[in-house]
Amino acid sequence: MITFENVSLVYPNGTQGLKDINIQINEGEFVVIVGLSGAGKSTFIRSINRLVTPTSGKLMVNGDNILSFKGKELRHLRKKIGMIFQSYNLVKRSTVMKNVIAGRLGYTDTWKSIFHLFSEKDRQLAYENLKRVNIESKLYSRADELSGGQQQRVSIARVLTQQPTLLLADEPVASLDPPTSHQVMKYLKQINKEDNITTIVNLHFIDMAMEYADRIIGMRDGEIVYDGPASSVSEKTFEEIYGRSIREDDIIGGEEHE
Amino acid sequence: MTKRHTIPPKPKQTMTLVKRIAAIVILLAIYTWTFTSISIKWDTIFSTRTLDNFDRIIPKFFTPAIEETGNILEMMLETIFIAYTGSLAAAILAIPLAFLCASNMVKNRYLNTIGMWILGAVRAFPEIILAILFVAAVGPNPFAGVLAIAIGSTGMLGKLYAEVIESIDMHVIEAFEASGANKLQILFYGIMPQVLPEFMSYAIYRFEIDVRASSVLGIVGAGGIGTLITFAYLNRNWEEVGMILLVIIVTVTIIDQISGAIRKRLV
Repeated sequence: MITFENVSLVYPNGTQGLKDINIQINEGEFVVIVGLSGAGKSTFIRSINRLVTPTSGKLMVNGDNILSFKGKELRHLRKKIGMIFQSYNLVKRSTVMKNVIAGRLGYTDTWKSIFHLFSEKDRQLAYENLKRVNIESKLYSRADELSGGQQQRVSIARVLTQQPTLLLADEPVASLDPPTSHQVMKYLKQINKEDNITTIVNLHFIDMAMEYADRIIGMRDGEIVYDGPASSVSEKTFEEIYGRSIREDDIIGGEEHE
Repeated sequence: MTKRHTIPPKPKQTMTLVKRIAAIVILLAIYTWTFTSISIKWDTIFSTRTLDNFDRIIPKFFTPAIEETGNILEMMLETIFIAYTGSLAAAILAIPLAFLCASNMVKNRYLNTIGMWILGAVRAFPEIILAILFVAAVGPNPFAGVLAIAIGSTGMLGKLYAEVIESIDMHVIEAFEASGANKLQILFYGIMPQVLPEFMSYAIYRFEIDVRASSVLGIVGAGGIGTLITFAYLNRNWEEVGMILLVIIVTVTIIDQISGAIRKRLV
């Protein structure tokens, strides 16, 4: 369970990233955060694993206020939180296997990991997760040989190898075409349901948000302007969140037909 | 018919013109000053004596002393060893200095600047000066040459490495941080795979330069083929000088070709 209590964040240059956020995210929820770019979605998500540090308030993750975490405590928190990025962030020159097993680094002794001595159990886990996203045939390919959608699936496998209790995804489909985007979202949804991993995804496509989310949070100018179940959301709601009428590029379309 | 445009006239820049004229005047002044003060004796350059000397020496270059080949090759090999050991040491020494200089690794501008100063100071010395220093320090042997090459190359490699490190994808590093990896693990899994191929490519390139640089180190007694050049030259043994030059040209060309081929495959 994640609880934001009066959380604000002011960047060193004076920009207010978050303004007095109060919200609770329950275990197992699939939350989609929508808003225009610069609305604070990314700041919100990155606060949870402390890639950015809010300047005031309390942020409780599983009962601990994580804003005071440093060093070992922080690494311990982060290894239980998986994160997926818009640009996949794989090491392009390393193999798929090496990228995925890197998800175990937080659990592995530094010296063992330097000499690449992962246990058989870890290697099995990595392979299993590659199979879950149907990319196990690329095991020994270099990451830069894969297409965008394949790379994003590898990054999902890497995150699963962390055995996280919480999954954050920052615009995971912004660099993908519509069919591939739907495929990636389906994997995220499936993982959320099968493993009961709380999942928070930033999106700006409204049709996608409505299709996959259990709950939608709307943000504008660092504030939460909407919070409700996906079923009660309409285009009207999005117009309120965005503060303007809905345009063509707010919709991804192209639902995958298999 | 398309309408003819009146292109607005280029604004008059009197200041630019003045600056250009000033630059030309200063350049001319420097040339005049240098040519008048170094007293070139044109009549000696184009004298019959010069022509006689050329006539005597140049043909001997083209009748190289083949019989010395064994000895020369041995010293050439020593030269390559000096270059190899020196550039290997530099390739390793440069890594920590490069990390110190890279602003995305050490987020302290003063430390970055100190690193740059160290590399800059090292780069300022030509290898031959370093060789003189090390010959004085460790004696006239190839080890002095290795040290000179190692220190001389560290300056350049450190700077190039630092640029490579600064150009890596920091988003990848962020992903590792987000997964709970510690700094050492990020270094080995996130940074090294991104920089090592470029590091190696630059190190090989520097080895190429070092083979050439170490050919002359022997002139100051730091080992290698330069020693032979000095002796042959002092004895006016131009046939041997010719043979040495031939060996150097062939060796350097071969090494350039090989290293070029390797570097193409690396990056």
